[in-house]
Amino acid sequence: MLPKRFDQTRPFATLGLILLVWLFLPLLVKSFTRVTFFELQAPFAAAQSYVQDLQEFWALRVRPRNELIEAGRDLARLNASYELRLQEAEQLKAEILRLENLLKLSPLPAFRFEPARVARRDFTGWWQRLVIRKGENYGLTVGAPVVFSGGVVGRVSEVYSYTAVVDLITSPTFRLAASATGDTRPVSYQGGLNDSFKPPRGTVEFVPLDIYAAPGATRRLVTSGLGGVFPPGLFIGEITSLEPSTDGLFKTGEVRLDERLGDLTEVTVLVPLNPQE
Amino acid sequence: MPHRDYRWLLVVSCNLALWWLTGLANHFLGAVSLPGGHYLSVHLYLGGLLVTYAALRLDARHGLVATLFTALLCDAATPVPFGTSLALFGLVHAFLLYGRQRFPREEVVFGTVVALLANLFLFLALSFLLVGDNPRPGEAWLRLFLDLGASQLVVALATPWFLALQECVFGLARLHPETGRQIAL
Repeated sequence: MLPKRFDQTRPFATLGLILLVWLFLPLLVKSFTRVTFFELQAPFAAAQSYVQDLQEFWALRVRPRNELIEAGRDLARLNASYELRLQEAEQLKAEILRLENLLKLSPLPAFRFEPARVARRDFTGWWQRLVIRKGENYGLTVGAPVVFSGGVVGRVSEVYSYTAVVDLITSPTFRLAASATGDTRPVSYQGGLNDSFKPPRGTVEFVPLDIYAAPGATRRLVTSGLGGVFPPGLFIGEITSLEPSTDGLFKTGEVRLDERLGDLTEVTVLVPLNPQE
Repeated sequence: MPHRDYRWLLVVSCNLALWWLTGLANHFLGAVSLPGGHYLSVHLYLGGLLVTYAALRLDARHGLVATLFTALLCDAATPVPFGTSLALFGLVHAFLLYGRQRFPREEVVFGTVVALLANLFLFLALSFLLVGDNPRPGEAWLRLFLDLGASQLVVALATPWFLALQECVFGLARLHPETGRQIAL
């Protein structure tokens, strides 16, 4: 029989042993376990999202017919305007191709647009993530940019069989090379200022000293295109303040992000057409 | 572990249900907008509640298996190094197992106090581990304390229900949580 003193500390000894085994477990086993346990939970989030869609569908079914006719008319107008823009975009694409060939430039990264429904929001003080209802089954890849009508949403951080996790631009772990509009010099953007009862904010670092911004005279922050993940020119937010950094060589400041990021229901994943490049 | 003794599975199933409900609540809390157009931005963390029943009522082996499985479920769904919840939940479980004989562990009030303390420890431990990623950790703590307050309130309210739910599940399975013996309804 074990001495009483050891018997009392048995829970800690067992835990220590388990953690020791866990520490030396091969990475492959850990990755497999993680994927397995995530996939086990994925149907719950997806099912809840489908039920919500169904709920919305039935809620729309009870809308008055006049309202639906008006919505249809508005949509037809929007479609007509988008048709025109599509034609313009085709012309611009042809022009870009012509210039690329003429100047022997390497082509800009090409993407396939994959719209996806948001299944789960996970907005904590530690991280900010979305689970979307598309994954490997739609060819999504880790690192793919995610956008919505208001600009950048984030980046795909994990891809599973039929769901994917998006790291939001509001997340402290999200960093991105950006630039102020009208300036080509890159600055560093980081998310992470998510106070309660306030709009989401991010921070910018390494901003050149000749760039100015104030609450009354904000500057638009867009993706720089450096790194090849995000195409250039996508809207991130408005730089609301800039102050000289401690070393005095650059400025640091705050970026006000789009408030609609909090209640997104659908996003678009930009799936790279040539991921190996 | 005797053959076909699935007590740990009952606890893990209940924990999975609670984890899903918490996720659902956070999903909708994330989109709650205030009159000024801003968002509420409150997150609930109920990790302490997931450990309480397994540590207080189950026998050491089944309790540990249930806690570790639950921890892996949590780890898989969160962007923390895989094994973080395993270590933290395991530590809480070991502490509770070590001291549970000295307390009225079948009392709901005691269970609630334990869940609150466990949740406080887990929340603070995770915060200390993760707050360093934030560009302004001092500011991040304000948000974290608000989340902690909301989480503790929900833990205090939900613990009696959740403990009763697990008791009810064991009652339906006609199993005694600690011994695993068949019990009459």
